Amino acid sequence: MEYWKDPQEAVTAILKLHEAVSKDPELGESMKKVNQLIWYDYTEDGPGCAVWVDCRGGQFSFGAGDPPDKPDLIMSLSADDAHRSWSDKLNPVMAITRKKIRIKGSATGLLKLAPKLKKVAAIYVQVLKDMGWEEKIIK
Amino acid sequence: MYGNTGKIVQVDLNAGKVTFEALPESWYRAYIGGSGLAAKLFWERGCFKRDPLDPEAMLIFMNGPFAGLKLSGASRNSVAGCSPLTRHWGDSSCGGFFAPELRYCGLDGLVITGRAENPSLLFIADDSVQILDASEYWGRGAEETNRDLKERFGKDVRTLVIGPAAEHLVKYAVILNEGHHATGRAGFGALMGSKNLKAILVKASKKEMSLADPETYEELRKDLNERIKGALASDVLRENGTAANLMGGVYSGDVPVKNWTSNFWEEAADALTGGTLTEKYLTRRSACAYCNIACKRVVEVKEGPYAVPEGPGPEYETIVAFGTLIGSIDLAATCKAGRLCNDLGIDTISAGGSIAWAMEAFERGDLTLEETGGIALNWGDMDTVIDVIIPKISSRDGALGNLLAEGSLAAARKLGKGLDYTVHSKGMEAPMHDPRGGGYGMALTYAVSARGACHVCDPMLFIEMGARYYPEIGFDFIMEPKTEENKAEAAVTAVALGAIENSACFCQFADAEVSIPNWLTLFNAVAGYGWDANDMMRAGRRVFYLKRLINHRYGLTALDDALTPRMLEPGKGGEAEGSQVDLEKMKARFYELMEIDPVRGIPTRKALEDCGMAEEAAVVWK
Repeated sequence: MEYWKDPQEAVTAILKLHEAVSKDPELGESMKKVNQLIWYDYTEDGPGCAVWVDCRGGQFSFGAGDPPDKPDLIMSLSADDAHRSWSDKLNPVMAITRKKIRIKGSATGLLKLAPKLKKVAAIYVQVLKDMGWEEKIIK
Repeated sequence: MYGNTGKIVQVDLNAGKVTFEALPESWYRAYIGGSGLAAKLFWERGCFKRDPLDPEAMLIFMNGPFAGLKLSGASRNSVAGCSPLTRHWGDSSCGGFFAPELRYCGLDGLVITGRAENPSLLFIADDSVQILDASEYWGRGAEETNRDLKERFGKDVRTLVIGPAAEHLVKYAVILNEGHHATGRAGFGALMGSKNLKAILVKASKKEMSLADPETYEELRKDLNERIKGALASDVLRENGTAANLMGGVYSGDVPVKNWTSNFWEEAADALTGGTLTEKYLTRRSACAYCNIACKRVVEVKEGPYAVPEGPGPEYETIVAFGTLIGSIDLAATCKAGRLCNDLGIDTISAGGSIAWAMEAFERGDLTLEETGGIALNWGDMDTVIDVIIPKISSRDGALGNLLAEGSLAAARKLGKGLDYTVHSKGMEAPMHDPRGGGYGMALTYAVSARGACHVCDPMLFIEMGARYYPEIGFDFIMEPKTEENKAEAAVTAVALGAIENSACFCQFADAEVSIPNWLTLFNAVAGYGWDANDMMRAGRRVFYLKRLINHRYGLTALDDALTPRMLEPGKGGEAEGSQVDLEKMKARFYELMEIDPVRGIPTRKALEDCGMAEEAAVVWK
């Protein structure tokens, strides 16, 4: 991996990101509108390297590893591409077209989030700074 | 001949004469079919001095080689000739169900000339072609005409009809398949109307086709249909229609607002996006022939001022053209405006563009109440748009109706004001993708497109999104939309592939799953061409070149590969704030790569000869 020392680092950063997103009123509301259980599958970089986000029924919860239920959408990608993606340095359409991101399930909910990616990325940068991981920030 | 039937029918409405003709196989190999083959026919037989609505003007309908072969997205058809709107080469394509039925009748296309004495219709049943009286349908809307024709000729007859706008020669009138699939652009409905031809009906009793390698084709067909059905983009389109990503377009600045005076209207993202249409008004989904995507919408607005009964719903272009472009974010109103335009037979892009231009002109005081016949044209006034403006345009009623029925460029010229804020290329109103937000490459391909500003002449829109790449032919650019970098290089591939798509009459949503090797297998298994990638790309470039040569014969030059000042202003609002396209830089590089003369705007003699177009070169390079 280019950005992570081990899979746990990636999971920790992305969980912290979602924690920060949940505290942002606008993004928190946007997440709820997705109304899906999403599993971000980074297991190609190690077992357990995954994060689930549950936005069903007006809630917004998340955790590491396998999802609590059958996911509506699975996005499989490397932990490095996840880092690029949350940093808004990976065009998701291009990544899907070139099979860097593999999708299973309906992605219509995610389209609602796509316009917010810049704001998410700004939060992600702050999260990395707060964690003392400035060297991981993609310039 | 394999794949194509090799046969067209010529109809002379002056003499009431019908003639079948076999076209040379070499034309198919060189120009594929669809708009490419139509261009070849027009190059050979068209008249370049006549008015577009002269009785002798040719109206060409042409299938692609895969029509009726039960492959998703591959059964569109092209309509082509001299555009009534732009007065030079025009072509337009349509999904629906006409192309397969025509092919099952053993025909690749129709060429119609002359003008019938009375309103007429053409009825094609297998190898019988009749010209019948259609006086009783004249003046009726497309929906009613379609319904009545099916009652009379049978439910399984496939129809092309025009609405009242075409009868009144509105320059952007459409031709509708099954009453709602529109051959929307360039105004061929007006050409059909000028010929007193209300409808074309087609009905086949058999489905016999001859393919070069049926087993290979069948194997690929099954694979492609599965892949197309399962693709992420298909899933999104099926779920929320062609406006599925309107929300993303709002934030990138791709969705034009108030005649392109702004690139950002945040409230439009939720109000108009495809998901909202699904939630509020969708009753069911619908598809063109053999398509597994089903991006078509059927909607019902149950109550309110814009209530419409269940029927065809608006696509992305209509939602924006009758939404943000004219200052509205009322989705129900776009449903009603779109339905009305369909029934009257008007292109929603050119109608929305012309109305948006007029609203700005009115706001600026360039268009006065006296000149509109006392009608105030205010942004977002959907009642006036639906109840007054659209009906007036379609019937050319009064000064305003007549002014806007000519399109925005002609209207500005007639008014003597407002040219700088028209939004078009070569006289055709731009589609609802603003390159300042969507991607600068689109500005280039809008400008160099033969028919005028167009987002479906080539896949540049998708290339800049990141949704297309072609590693098999060395096309592997990573595109940043809002720069000029690599856009000319990308456009070289895009225009050739676009020419192939439009000549093969393949839907751009479906052919995202068709790789270059898949394209080759399709052409070779269906038509037996034995092409390699170079042969195929050369055919695409040949079609692109030929349409430019036709425009040259209409007097167009490199100066016509242009956008209007409004389109080249810095973007305003959101992510497109300050975004400004350097068109000349991209155009110069594109000309260089495509070997196009920078003054005459046509390919050099050598470039034409290298494409096997020596005869054409001799005509334009005397």
